[in-house]
Amino acid sequence: MIRGIFLQIFCIFFLGLSTSIAQSGNLSGKLIFEDGQPVTFATVYIHAVKKHGLSDESGNYTIQDIPFGKHRVQVSSIEIEQNEFEVEINTDSKTLTTTLKRSKDTNLDEVEVIGESYKTEIEKSGFAVNVIDTKEASLRNIQTNELLNTTVGVKIRQNGGLGSEVNYSLNGLSGSAVRIFIDGIPISAYGNSFNLNSIPPSMIKEIEVYKGVVPGHLADDALGGAINIVLQNSTQSNLNASISYGSFNTLQASVNGLYRFKDSGFTVKGSLFHNYSDNDYKVSGRSVVVTGLGGVQTPIEARRFNDAYRSSGGIFQIGYTDVKWADQFLIGFTGSSDYKEIQHGAFMTIMPYKDRFMESDAKLGNLIYQKRDLFTKGLDININALYGKRNRMVSDTLAWAYAWNGEKAIDFRGNEYEYSWRSQQEGGPTLSRINRDVASARTGLSYAINDHHKVLVNHVFSSIDRVDTDALRSVLENTFRGTRDLRKNILSLTYELNAMDGRFSANLFGKYYQQETINIDPDIDPETNELIDEVTSATTKDEGYGFTVSYALLPNVTLLTSAEKAVRLPNESEVFGNDGDNVVANPSIRPELSNNFNLGFRFGRFNIEKHDFTVSTNLFTRNIKDRIGLPIETSLNVNDEIILYENQGNGTSKGFDAQVDYTYNNNFGVNFNVSRFDLKIVNRGVEIDVPNTPFFTMNTSMRYSFKDLIQKSSRLNLFYTLYFTGEFSYLVPQGSNTVGDEFFKVPQQIAQDLGVSYVFPTDKLVMSFDIKNIFDKPVYDNLSVQKPGRAFYLKLNYRINNY
Amino acid sequence: MKRNFINYHKLTALLLAGGLLVSCSDDPEPNPTPDPDPDPVEARWITVAAARMGDNPGDGNGGTLIYSLNSDEAKDPTVSIAPFDNGFIVPSNRTARLQSSEDGNTIFNISYAGDTGGNYTKYSVEGGQTFTQEGTSVSIAPYVGSAPRWIKLFDGDQTGAAVYVDTEHQFDDNGTPDDASDDTYIRTEATMGVVTLDLVNSTIVEFQESSIQLTEEEESNGYYVSRIDMPTLNAAGDKLYIGARLSKVDPATGESDGDGEILGSKTIVLDYPSLLNPTVISSTVGYGNTNGYRSINAFEYNGSVYQANQGDPNGSHILKIGANNQYDDSYVFSLDNALGTDDAYILAWRPAANGKAVVAYRDASSETGVAGAQGFFALVDLEARTAQKITDIPYEADFYLFQYQGFAVHGNDIYLTQAPVGKNGNIYVVDTETGNVTKGAELVNVEGSHFIGVF
Repeated sequence: MIRGIFLQIFCIFFLGLSTSIAQSGNLSGKLIFEDGQPVTFATVYIHAVKKHGLSDESGNYTIQDIPFGKHRVQVSSIEIEQNEFEVEINTDSKTLTTTLKRSKDTNLDEVEVIGESYKTEIEKSGFAVNVIDTKEASLRNIQTNELLNTTVGVKIRQNGGLGSEVNYSLNGLSGSAVRIFIDGIPISAYGNSFNLNSIPPSMIKEIEVYKGVVPGHLADDALGGAINIVLQNSTQSNLNASISYGSFNTLQASVNGLYRFKDSGFTVKGSLFHNYSDNDYKVSGRSVVVTGLGGVQTPIEARRFNDAYRSSGGIFQIGYTDVKWADQFLIGFTGSSDYKEIQHGAFMTIMPYKDRFMESDAKLGNLIYQKRDLFTKGLDININALYGKRNRMVSDTLAWAYAWNGEKAIDFRGNEYEYSWRSQQEGGPTLSRINRDVASARTGLSYAINDHHKVLVNHVFSSIDRVDTDALRSVLENTFRGTRDLRKNILSLTYELNAMDGRFSANLFGKYYQQETINIDPDIDPETNELIDEVTSATTKDEGYGFTVSYALLPNVTLLTSAEKAVRLPNESEVFGNDGDNVVANPSIRPELSNNFNLGFRFGRFNIEKHDFTVSTNLFTRNIKDRIGLPIETSLNVNDEIILYENQGNGTSKGFDAQVDYTYNNNFGVNFNVSRFDLKIVNRGVEIDVPNTPFFTMNTSMRYSFKDLIQKSSRLNLFYTLYFTGEFSYLVPQGSNTVGDEFFKVPQQIAQDLGVSYVFPTDKLVMSFDIKNIFDKPVYDNLSVQKPGRAFYLKLNYRINNY
Repeated sequence: MKRNFINYHKLTALLLAGGLLVSCSDDPEPNPTPDPDPDPVEARWITVAAARMGDNPGDGNGGTLIYSLNSDEAKDPTVSIAPFDNGFIVPSNRTARLQSSEDGNTIFNISYAGDTGGNYTKYSVEGGQTFTQEGTSVSIAPYVGSAPRWIKLFDGDQTGAAVYVDTEHQFDDNGTPDDASDDTYIRTEATMGVVTLDLVNSTIVEFQESSIQLTEEEESNGYYVSRIDMPTLNAAGDKLYIGARLSKVDPATGESDGDGEILGSKTIVLDYPSLLNPTVISSTVGYGNTNGYRSINAFEYNGSVYQANQGDPNGSHILKIGANNQYDDSYVFSLDNALGTDDAYILAWRPAANGKAVVAYRDASSETGVAGAQGFFALVDLEARTAQKITDIPYEADFYLFQYQGFAVHGNDIYLTQAPVGKNGNIYVVDTETGNVTKGAELVNVEGSHFIGVF
């Protein structure tokens, strides 16, 4: 029963479930305490017609499509005594203000359960998971990646400013160990132009970060965890638009809207985004020099001059929502493109790049179908599929050398000069293009046998057919370049148990992975002298399994534990090699495996008068086996034209995350989190600490709201965020008494951001101003690669709900 | 070069005298200031280079550390040093390629890869972990890339030379740019860049680019120079020899072809100091590559340049390039024959001024250790073309010399390091004249790491 209420609350809150019935009206009400304070986040329920509403921060709620007549309305909230009142609906829209009694004797058991948000529900499900709400961030000048970076256990490493390459680390595991999804679809289907760099927070409803143990519905070979971006999926008509401008000529705009015809359920939905930045922030350091006669170097402070970024895109969907045969049935199109200038390679060297850039685009058709209680109560189906093309191009054709002052460099004789390698990046000019046909389909079927038992089956298929060409290579070379196709099927079965009145829940899952890699290598038939395609394929299969247990030891103390035997299948280069890098096929390579464990506690939420706080901690271990890597160079292979990937040693990551949330009287909030781990690998019996890993991070954020400060019913919010990253070294730990270590160190970093947002009285217009890195401290994610210093941004948001 | 030759004799005398004067202790406190005695009867610095493990035992990717002690301490087995604990970490993202002045008082480094890749720095050796940077920064990266292959020339520590090659396959589209079926492979253009660096004043001296041409037949069969390294000055000081590795494509497809016949060893000969007029010379004695790996692969001795080759199907040879700047094919020195072994492969080597050299090699008898094939040392006579495995040095499977870089020559003595991966070892001193081997200072190792020579 409680679970049922959960689901319904969930539906109301996030899906805005409503059906259309003739002769009905809407109820727009406001809940206040006797002292006039609003009753926030209270559930408003009309039992007879099974309709819900939820009050917002101002106490306002709406319930739509209530049949004419008298109705009994129930209100429940953590802050009030359960209350009922009557309302008569006889017009299209009825407004009502209800005064409620503040709760004196709080029945925590009940309040806990009813007051639980979707975020809390997920976070208490047993997984080591964080749900990041984008609601507030979407009104501010905050990038999606910045939002993730403040999340406990997550570290983002970015090679520069907006749009630059990002690497995600979850509890120390990074790279291909972390899988990213958009609505459960692997992000590899979308490519570079539609990713966390380009999608604005306003298009995102929330981000779920699963550390180490990944639920069955996010089926992929995620060894270290998964980040799932849940796009806005409300079915309530709304429109919001925002525009932000700031330092480095950074412009970001987005529009999201949805319109639903009440009678037919016909829904039109669209989102557009556009981002642009020159990223011409100032840099200095040991490699930011200009060279003069004889090669003499003069250090300078320079502005980055080949680092602009643009991304634009959108999603357009039409279909039906909240109709008899579907909760959501939408077909649509996702299109995006981006352009990114590349200022330097992995490091900032004395040779900045000019005119090297990358472009990518994606054109994808998509389909969503969701239905609860399909055929029979408790049977839910969820299908999400996309098909299309994505392309990526890298251009580097300029041979002239440039200096950090943005002008042509001079050589030791004083002449402008061209690089021997005829391009900016060493390795020669390129106009390489990778065209991919992508398809991905996720199907989920769940059946709730009763309130205690639920079974879920999920399947994800993804396929990438890839063709590489380089316009600067001859037709012959392009013809004989191999192509690599990848098909992945991942099937998972999950059983969910809910017992002891919701105090105990468990989740048991198994995953079956199957991956087929297809290698098409054109060759010449020695007999007929004709061009033939040599097609070889390799199939990898593996199984994984895991569980989660959540047990409320006390109403406010929940034990959360989870474990998974996780798998990462070898990727196309690892199986088939890579012509460009002279890596050859190793069809016998085994998947990487990891046994992941989490043990966490969640204390809270505790309320003491107006103080609310929650503390959560997680201890984790990751034990990786058969890491995939390239062999070391030896006298036996140094002159070989070819190398192959192999399974090497083992690795472990151990550490803890902790988080404290505190709010006072709903207008002051503090969040503090800390994450620390040890990452070691063992190869041939020798254990070492993995270098180049920020293993200690802390974040603090604070928020304070003033009401009616400038205008009546306006709100002014102040924000402050502090990011701390402990010192780490690019090199493995050295001896006790060595000198010269500082060359390899990324020093301890502290950056602080300030923000203010003003919500105008109508609640439609929000203006925000943010200062990033207020003290202009140098920040680095990678050795010597400096990130932007102090920056200012102003943003305007306009939103209309329920028009 | 003649001047150097004289210096060696002088140095030998100084060393012998110095050896009698300097005392040693268990805990060395190398004397940072030379003996106040104006007569420079002083032991030279011996700088030990150590390569810490990165991901894999023996990969040497975890940092290059140097530590110096004087030659008398280096020769004393009661002395023990721990460069991994007490050394100076050379600023280079991957294993540094170090060079030293002939007197051992200066260490030259060009950073390999990373943000400062290509940056030249020199350090005065002051004992222990004290290396003081001298001069200004200069980078050769704009000319030869950020992972440069460089060597100090034997011209009295005046000049360093670094090389780079860029290749591009050329095709004839037969007038139909969109139809690959009638395309034919023409050749692969290999563009070479050579830069010379004034080591004293830290400035670039000269840079030239040129195309490397093989014979028409070799080129039409798909051969091209894919890597070059180890520039060496001839005795007259008017030509620079550069070692080369050949690769091959299948002319039918333009794809890499690893099964082709291995051609005679080749060297690129350039005018010096102008770095112009490259020609390619070819040996009929040795086959395979002459570009070496991380240690100097060719040396001038007695008017000729002697060069080791690698990947020779008949085992490594030491080849001779005569004063006429051509291979002297009458000089046949097969290490397999001289040692009575098979598959000898020269990993690093160094002659003393007397024409006797220490060679680090592996062969068919090498066991496979934690980081690859086991290595050995041999004493080689360039004149007599004889070689003798040095048996006074202990060998074991994990003793590996692939990344070995440095030998310090002190008169007829050659200093070297011996330590299996992850185990302690010692400095050894080989008297090339007598063949006597002296066990020197102990080298304290750490897990997965190894020593890559002395400078």
